[in-house]
Amino acid sequence: MKRVYAFENRCLGCGLCEVYCKTAHSKSKDIIKANRNENITSAIVIEEILQPKAVAYFALQCRHCDDAKCVKACIAGAMYKDENGVVRNDKDKCVACLSCLLVCPFGAVKKTEEGKTVSKCDLCIDFGAPACVENCPNGALKLLDDKEAEALK
Amino acid sequence: MKYVIIGNSAAGVNAADAIRKNDKKGQITIISNEEFPAYGRPLISYYLSGKVKPENMSYRDASFYKSRKIDVLLNTEVTKIDSKNKKVITSGGKKIDYDKLLIATGSVPFVPPTNGLANQENVFTFLTYGESRRLKTAVNKNSKVVIVGAGLIGLKAAEGLFGQVAKITVLDLADRVMASVLDKPAAKLIQSHIEQNDIDFKLGVSVAEVVGEKKVSKVVLSNGESLLCDILIVAVGVRPNVALAKESGIKVNRAIIVDEYMQTSQKDIYAAGDCVESWDCLANACKVLALWPNASNQGETAGFNMSVGNKQKAPVSFAMNAISFFGLQLISAGIIGEANKNSIFDRAANKLRRLNIVDDKLLGYVLINDTQRAGIYTALINDKTKLSSLEYDITKKDIGLSVYPKASRVCKIWGQTK
Repeated sequence: MKRVYAFENRCLGCGLCEVYCKTAHSKSKDIIKANRNENITSAIVIEEILQPKAVAYFALQCRHCDDAKCVKACIAGAMYKDENGVVRNDKDKCVACLSCLLVCPFGAVKKTEEGKTVSKCDLCIDFGAPACVENCPNGALKLLDDKEAEALK
Repeated sequence: MKYVIIGNSAAGVNAADAIRKNDKKGQITIISNEEFPAYGRPLISYYLSGKVKPENMSYRDASFYKSRKIDVLLNTEVTKIDSKNKKVITSGGKKIDYDKLLIATGSVPFVPPTNGLANQENVFTFLTYGESRRLKTAVNKNSKVVIVGAGLIGLKAAEGLFGQVAKITVLDLADRVMASVLDKPAAKLIQSHIEQNDIDFKLGVSVAEVVGEKKVSKVVLSNGESLLCDILIVAVGVRPNVALAKESGIKVNRAIIVDEYMQTSQKDIYAAGDCVESWDCLANACKVLALWPNASNQGETAGFNMSVGNKQKAPVSFAMNAISFFGLQLISAGIIGEANKNSIFDRAANKLRRLNIVDDKLLGYVLINDTQRAGIYTALINDKTKLSSLEYDITKKDIGLSVYPKASRVCKIWGQTK
């Protein structure tokens, strides 16, 4: 299946992926409204790596594990793997117990700001291509299938 | 192939799912002594509070059983396993043949023998959806509720009833809440947060006597105090539900003994979930780890091995919990140890983070209201990672994947994430 991969050497830590992630998952789909007025938690974690003389960054999204620990841990049946292999969270069923957060070895699930559900990458499956990949200004995020990723390792 | 599964919760359902993935033709029968399709058992307190509506209680979508061709017998008690003739016998006298059997009978509430407790109408346990529904209809705004047990179940019952009754008092024999999971400072934090919501605690006491004819009206405590009571909830703990396995000659300690393939002492009979002893990789001993994720994993492993032969080993496990009370979020895992220098305690913000580090390894942690990315800590425990091999001191900084050296970080993110 296709996943989003981060290229550390290209990431500028600019945070645009988060901005577009929030926009993609907003009601308005408007970049200003989404980021200013709608309380959305992005599904991406941007990490800073402090080095002796520089700072590097990478953006991390859910890895959509084949054997997803979060799906097994979910007490509400809200976290599930769909027919395409995408791990998704049913917001109507999620009670924000954070069992998924407890077991995700990537730390790729977040509690939302409003605290009623969790936020994680769904590969923007409901409207096409992942917004973070589409809008990364430096090509630091790519959507690759297993074969392509293997070749680039 | 005929597969029979006794039990219809995390272990049973995940087993049925795994069997069907590998065996499209076999006959799968789930037998449950409850009246509902599989539901998220920990959600019963959310139902009680009204936060989760009945339509959202189900653990799988409405088409789950049908689309996977799984027969479900609800409201059916299995009275006997006849392992010689490979049959299970139900309370209605029905005999069901099996080639492979899974025992996923879970836990039963433990009700300590107490003077005057027997045959009282207004006494409840809190382990099933049915019981939660019964409780919800029994309470009203004048109810004086006494909950015996300040563990996870007792505290969740208290939270679920909050605002719907006149008074809630929680008792426990231990000197703190959640004594099996938390140390004193963390327990204190949780307790004071719950107390702010008008819930009273009486710790270090037990119930000496229950007073009332057919209905409890009062409980007398071990310290001589008495409490008026018209709803009594017994939540002192659970026991593995192993009577059926024991009677059929399957080897049982505190719970059913299984090998790493989840097979019991009898060939073709498997067991998974709260009713088995799991290998606790931190304690290096067999323990009852009655945890939802553990039951799901074991159920899936059992189902896989029942349908394709013993090839898959169950993932190792250790204690872990994620739970919240009145918005205060607690996550803990592993062996939490005693309060130590690696505690960051911010009383003002109700935040606590404590890491239990022994011999260069993370053994456990407690996080209260400071829970982002806890799973990375869980992975450090699980992998027994040498902390000195990491990029920074985990006690000094928020955890992130950047804690791993570049090579292993890239390998984690790019590798096949099994």
